[in-house]
Amino acid sequence: MADATHNVIIGNGSAGNGAAITLRERDPDSRITIITMSSLPFYNRYDLPRVFRGCHDWREILVHPPEYYDDNRITLRRNSRVTDVDGRSRSITFAHNEVMHYDQLLVCAGGRGYLPEELSEYYGLMHGFHSFESATTTYRALPKGGTVIMLGGDMIGLDLARTLIDVGYRVMVLANEYTFWPHRIEADERAGFIAALQHMGLEVMDGVRPVAIEEGAAGKPARRVVFEGGDSVDGDVVIPFYGLVPTAEFMLGSGVDIERGLLVDPQLQTTDKHIWAAGDVCQIWSAADNEYRFYYGWTNVRQMGEVAARNVTGADEAFKGVGDERLHVGRDGHIQSPFWEY
Amino acid sequence: MTEPLKPVYLEDKLQQVRGDGHLRYRSRSLPTWCPGCGYFSVAEGVAVALNNLRVPLKDAVVVSGIGCASRFPFFMDTYGLHTLHGRTLPVATGVKVANEQLTVIAVGGDGDAFAIGGGHIPHAARRNVDITYMVFDNGVYGLTKGQTSPTSVYGFVTPSTPYESHDQPLNPLLMLLSYGASWVGQAYAGRPHHLSDMIAQAIAHRGFSYLHILSPCVTFDKTEMTYSNLDIRVRDLPADHEPTDRLAAMEQATRTAAPALGLFFREERPTLGDGFADIAERATHAPKKKAKAPSK
Amino acid sequence: MAKKRESTDIQFAIIGSAGDGTIAAGDILKRAMAALGYKVIAFDIYPAEIRGFGKCISRVRVTTEQAYSLKRHSDVLVSLDDSYAIPHVGEVCDYGAVIYEASPIVRQPEGAHITAHIRPTQLPYGLNQREISERATSSARSRNIVILGYLAALYDIDPQAFRKVIAAKFRRKAPVVTTSNTAAFDAAYEVGKRVFKLDQGSLGEPVHADKGETATMMTGNGAIVRGCIDAGLDTFFGYPITPATTILERLAAELPKHGGRVLQTEDEISAISATIGAGYAGARAATATSGPGLALMAEMLGLGVMGEIPSVVFVSQRGGPSTGMPTKTEQSDLNMAVFGGAGDAQRIVLAPTNVDGCYRTAGKAFEMAEQYQTPVIVLMDLYLSNRYETVVPPAKNPFAPNLNKGMDARRGDGAYQRYQRADDHVSPRALPGDEAGMHTVTGLEHNEFGKPSDLPENHMAMSLKRHEKLKAALKHPDFTICKRFGDEGPVDVGILGWGSTFGEILEAMFAAQDEGLRCSAMKVVMLSPLPEQQIAAFMDDCGAVLVPELNYEGQLANLISGALGRPVTRLNRATGAPMQVEEILAEVRRLAQARAA
Repeated sequence: MADATHNVIIGNGSAGNGAAITLRERDPDSRITIITMSSLPFYNRYDLPRVFRGCHDWREILVHPPEYYDDNRITLRRNSRVTDVDGRSRSITFAHNEVMHYDQLLVCAGGRGYLPEELSEYYGLMHGFHSFESATTTYRALPKGGTVIMLGGDMIGLDLARTLIDVGYRVMVLANEYTFWPHRIEADERAGFIAALQHMGLEVMDGVRPVAIEEGAAGKPARRVVFEGGDSVDGDVVIPFYGLVPTAEFMLGSGVDIERGLLVDPQLQTTDKHIWAAGDVCQIWSAADNEYRFYYGWTNVRQMGEVAARNVTGADEAFKGVGDERLHVGRDGHIQSPFWEY
Repeated sequence: MTEPLKPVYLEDKLQQVRGDGHLRYRSRSLPTWCPGCGYFSVAEGVAVALNNLRVPLKDAVVVSGIGCASRFPFFMDTYGLHTLHGRTLPVATGVKVANEQLTVIAVGGDGDAFAIGGGHIPHAARRNVDITYMVFDNGVYGLTKGQTSPTSVYGFVTPSTPYESHDQPLNPLLMLLSYGASWVGQAYAGRPHHLSDMIAQAIAHRGFSYLHILSPCVTFDKTEMTYSNLDIRVRDLPADHEPTDRLAAMEQATRTAAPALGLFFREERPTLGDGFADIAERATHAPKKKAKAPSK
Repeated sequence: MAKKRESTDIQFAIIGSAGDGTIAAGDILKRAMAALGYKVIAFDIYPAEIRGFGKCISRVRVTTEQAYSLKRHSDVLVSLDDSYAIPHVGEVCDYGAVIYEASPIVRQPEGAHITAHIRPTQLPYGLNQREISERATSSARSRNIVILGYLAALYDIDPQAFRKVIAAKFRRKAPVVTTSNTAAFDAAYEVGKRVFKLDQGSLGEPVHADKGETATMMTGNGAIVRGCIDAGLDTFFGYPITPATTILERLAAELPKHGGRVLQTEDEISAISATIGAGYAGARAATATSGPGLALMAEMLGLGVMGEIPSVVFVSQRGGPSTGMPTKTEQSDLNMAVFGGAGDAQRIVLAPTNVDGCYRTAGKAFEMAEQYQTPVIVLMDLYLSNRYETVVPPAKNPFAPNLNKGMDARRGDGAYQRYQRADDHVSPRALPGDEAGMHTVTGLEHNEFGKPSDLPENHMAMSLKRHEKLKAALKHPDFTICKRFGDEGPVDVGILGWGSTFGEILEAMFAAQDEGLRCSAMKVVMLSPLPEQQIAAFMDDCGAVLVPELNYEGQLANLISGALGRPVTRLNRATGAPMQVEEILAEVRRLAQARAA
């Protein structure tokens, strides 16, 4: 095994796990390592709303039981943050100062929530929904029937909102240009989609600009969001949903081309022939659009991981995203998104 | 069990001479030593010394090892502890530590002391345990019938050294002086009055006293440490010998061709018992300044 | 924080290099947990080397119900040094936690960091141990305290209990040591409070708190010392030898406060010699050693038997033969304790099975030595000597101060017989200082007067006396000679054990019962004279008899099968480590299945 090819996957999400099992199937003798910053084995981000439906044990949300990794001879490195990748020596440096060699590197690091700079100083007063831990912390901070204020309201947040309304919470969306991210909404469609949100039971304030978040006054909910002009709303938790930005800063010294995400060809290979990327972290060349572009949603991400893994193991397959990326309103008057398909 | 067994009593003859004070210290057991053995003088000397010092029988403990000399406790009407070969001093130390009121006399031969038991002597000496150690030196193993001992002369021919002994004899006095014994003297079985005087001095000393007793074996040594040889060789320490002068004492001890009799060295310093008193004080009270180091 | 009223059973393992403060951290942890009222069993493993390098492990099991041994699997592993901790990651149970340095300074190759080895079923908790220590104290030395603050927060343990123990531990050092360590603890506690707990980490309510009992932490050796003091030990002579040294050291500090005397001798021969000398003079006297020292003491113990002199020898076994494995545990000196030495030299041999037993056995050993005029060997091992357990000290001193059968008034000239015949074969003993009791004790065979005698009928009669008198010890008051646990009546498998291993035996027996097997266990505390009747009665009830021991030869198995002429099944481990409960359980299962088939 010492001479076996070492395939290293950075990221333990849908793309990374799709890649890992594909690699295992196609190359039974290789070493496979998945690196994740999380303390937990793989669970699906799309499952996180379940935390608000009573799923409080992380074991219930795992996609595979922990034994899956042993069964498939996949080494899982949790709590491990990569700080540097050196394409020339093909080595990875961890925050904990360990150096690891790879033969093929698949970067499936995904994205993390974007926070506009003017709100960054209020980060400590906001809650999160990006991990099991942050979702659970948010759940614990939320009183029964309490109010969730969503800043922006991307499709991740709106997915959560459906669950929150269903289980009896109040959801207030402070809508702006990030609302419905990553859908590109034409100006004339917007009012219809906002109305659909209201029909779903969300309270929407469109066009307000939050400038400050404060702790709530005594006897009031725990948070107050202050708008430009001085008006404010009260809520129990405030969660930003401004879309995702790729988690790619550790690749800055690697030698591969980066724009907002890692730039890859349709085969998902970067400019370094030993480095591949899949999922929310990469921008894929689209000949049709004549630009590098992102593809979102579980179906796309999972497929990217598998395609990249097949290409790492000798295939020459171009990634084709799901065709329909449009937001629409269903017959029940609720919005429907292909990115929610899971 | 079978019929009770009669103890071996000393002959009536010995009982007849009871009445002399010191004979109270003699038990009714018949000594097993050979006629003419120097140890008879030592036994007599101890009895006389204990009598002169007015040590109650019940408060005297004689501890011995194994060997002719170590039979000693049986012939005394004190408490006695006949232990193992070489272990006289640690056992005697234990007796003294357990009961400071007792007068503890450790006795043994040259083999018991300096061969098998040699490792214990420096420690009893440096601790300054308040006991008296008398070594009956006849330069031969008597009980096992005549083998060479640590104090036998170089070239000694015995059943265990048929081609002569090739080991140099030890110098016990020099060793004890360097070990830090606080009282070191030498006596000779052929001079019983001086001997009993030295025994009394040794017992009276507060601290570890070592008395080396030259005591011929009439059975297994017909040539070297005989009465006739020793009568000629022994001498008194010089009249001007100062017993607080350790170096002078060592110088005298090196002159083995003419063994000197008398008190070689004496010093007063805290005993093991004093040390325990100090420890008890410190353990139960606020710390006080360090105990002063013993003078050398 | 409302604590759940449920039982707790959590085992911590702290692993580091000598110099990391591993053992000190374990010490603070177990004392804090004991102070909070939990039951604690703890055992440290440290290298033979003095300092600087070598693996140190401190394992602390905290329970609300009584536990009898450490567990094979720890629930929490804390690494202060990954190179030593990595081989132990496998001992962490499923969903157990592994806590480690998240930011090592030194760049290391692949696999050198513990995250490379944590199983997917285990929970990783990275902690900036060094950084927190440096920020709080300007030094990295308090990393061991940092992990305690983190543990306290993670498992919702009252931090005040730790702060008190830290202050007590460093009370003899400069005050800054306490303040800086407390600062390190507090800083890490705050960090731990903010950490997302992957599992519900609170412990159940402690039990002692309800009953108002004051439990204290004690090692086996510590319990021996306490027993010695309560039994009125007068003199102790010792020579340093692992793992018995701490008995000498603690008595040196404590015994003088109670009027006793302690002397470090020049060797073990001197130690036992002085003990016998002091015993002869009427003192309660003892020494402590390990196997190599006991070998040196064998001859003098023979004098104790022959002279009928009371003495107590505490023997903490380690790996043998010869110098063997001084810092590893073993139960291989049973033969020497029971049989070692010249001649027919039977003495009393007692083997306590837990820390509380060490206390009771120590005190009773002095009673027996005095009452039956014999040496008594108390046989322990490194695992028992060094492991900590919570014990509740008795309200009043349970030991009789003086059981010496004194001499009668002199009935005439020369009438005192030191070895006078008696129905119980124990003769009145005069002590130096007693008027008219003068006699000489000798290692030679002797008659009733103590005079040397090699007459054939005398040697026979005296041999009988020396052996018969010890049988009374099998009924010594208020002392457990042997005891049966578990199912009454006929059982599938019975486990016979002695010494420290009995904890694991009990745990295995409970586990077997949980699996539906009929199982019981008997501990044999008195190994000489052997309680043959009770053991035989126990064996009558057992379909199969298993004897697990930490030795290669099966010394108790040999003793029992030799004495009773009955076969037993042996389970021997000579690894230097305590027996595993699972190993015993597997053997019990196998025996039960073989019997069913």
